[in-house]
Amino acid sequence: MGVQVVSSASIVEDRGLRAWWSRAERKVVPYVFISPFYILFIVFSVGPLIYALYLSLHRWPGSGPMRHVGLGNYTYLAGDPVFLKSLWNTVYYAIGAFIFILPLALLLALLINSTLIRLKSLFRIGYFLPILTSTVAATLIFLMIFNNQFGLINQGLALLGIPALKWLDEELVKISVLAVAAWRYTGINVLYFLTGLQSIPPDLYEAAQVDGAGTWAQFRYITIPQLRPIALFVGVVTMIGSFQLFAEPLLLADGGPNDASLTLANYLYRMGFTNAKLGYGSAIGWVLALIIFGLSFIQLYLFGAFRKDD
Amino acid sequence: MDNTPTRRAQRTIAYGFLFFILISMATPFFWMISNTFKEQYEIFQLQPTLIPEEPHLRNYIRLFAEFDFAHHFLNSAFIAVVHTVSHLFLASLAGFAFAKYTFPLKNFLFLVLLGSMMVPLYTIFIPLFVLVIRLGLVNSYAGVIIPGVAAAFGIFFMKQSMEAVPDELLDSARIDGASEFRIYWQIALPLVRPALAVLAVLAFMNSWNDFVWPLVVLRSRELQTLPVVMAGMVGMYRMEHGVIMAASLLSTVPILLLFFALQKQFVRGLTVGAIKS
Repeated sequence: MGVQVVSSASIVEDRGLRAWWSRAERKVVPYVFISPFYILFIVFSVGPLIYALYLSLHRWPGSGPMRHVGLGNYTYLAGDPVFLKSLWNTVYYAIGAFIFILPLALLLALLINSTLIRLKSLFRIGYFLPILTSTVAATLIFLMIFNNQFGLINQGLALLGIPALKWLDEELVKISVLAVAAWRYTGINVLYFLTGLQSIPPDLYEAAQVDGAGTWAQFRYITIPQLRPIALFVGVVTMIGSFQLFAEPLLLADGGPNDASLTLANYLYRMGFTNAKLGYGSAIGWVLALIIFGLSFIQLYLFGAFRKDD
Repeated sequence: MDNTPTRRAQRTIAYGFLFFILISMATPFFWMISNTFKEQYEIFQLQPTLIPEEPHLRNYIRLFAEFDFAHHFLNSAFIAVVHTVSHLFLASLAGFAFAKYTFPLKNFLFLVLLGSMMVPLYTIFIPLFVLVIRLGLVNSYAGVIIPGVAAAFGIFFMKQSMEAVPDELLDSARIDGASEFRIYWQIALPLVRPALAVLAVLAFMNSWNDFVWPLVVLRSRELQTLPVVMAGMVGMYRMEHGVIMAASLLSTVPILLLFFALQKQFVRGLTVGAIKS
């Protein structure tokens, strides 16, 4: 008897639960579906971001007690010649990307997009292929191409009667790093610019031709303004990428010679992992983050991303 | 329009420039391939040879025999496949939720998601490594895969394609009593297969080519991936250039094959960020 009562009650309860669930499911489920991202984001990004700030205020060799040093790591950075050198090198790479790789990519995209040219997909695909290699494989190939004595470039120069240049020495190593980056990243930027060019409505050009605008005027008053969104995207991606350059200088010259090719990421790695100065390394990381945030903001501002009327 | 001679001259210059760049970009590939069949002395002789004088396979044999290439190749493949499959699942599930439900805080949460893409890897690099040690994940594939498996870009990307799934289909499945997960799995997911393919090639390539995170997480040699092992070849006492080139070539082949098989997906995957901006 008693058993029956209990079981019928549980059936009622079960029905209630199921009815509740069928009502609640659509409210609860989306949070469940998105929760893996937020859990991983908090554990593996937000946590470390805050912990990095905390570490940057301490001296810590990775084990044992931490010593609070306030802003000591940051003030030390300001006078650390190797840090300043790596900062300058990184800026050099970023500037190099902006004045060399991006204009080249834009020029190639304009040529491929022009009515003069056929074989469009040959060029598109050909320029694009290098990005499929890993940075490691790409840098290893160029390590041989730039070999100070017997590299392909010097062999080529020798055939022309020009004496060998030391591509991996202090004076030229940054150019060599940029060349590896240009090889891998020009093609993808060509694709980005082509995407932008192809999204310009053709009737804009037709209307301009009717009004008698020449090629230059069309480029200046239609192509450039219409490319603005894509240029912003390319600019931000290039800036973030060049400030996090790591494998190319590491494998090409181990950051050297004499730290001539060392980037901020290389120096952070050296401090954090080779020299076990985790606090100091974290301070470099935060300086890097502030630079990247600051420059992204400036780019967004310059391109008018914050202007309401756009 | 223009008079013909000017246009012809323009065309010649344009083609000349495009081909010059194309050849410059192709040369490293051919140089790499050719060097895999050469002895060290031939790589470094004064007159470079594109066709090896005495082609041989010794570099490849040594790569497999002395550097255990097949083993590291499989390590890379395992990590890339597990990463790709888990990333596709988590990204499409969250993308589905953002595209097909309305819930409190949705816009705020999506903004957080977009903002997460701004966190620079190197800023969190050191504490992330400390965390992975504390969690006991150092020197394990889990330590390589888990931190980046739910990357925001994939969710953002899947949301866009999930939005195209018709609501009527989902609602009629609900009337038939299907659970929300079944609706995602059996109705939404098959409809976004093309987008999944795009994201898959992208995720696979990123994982396959990843260098710096596996470099710090995988301490013991038998677990290491191809880029890590290849980077280790550089610092060796006597650098084996032919062997290194063979490794570079063979490590690139899977991505090249994938690219030629799924060209459209590749190009879309790599430019999608630009289009969406």
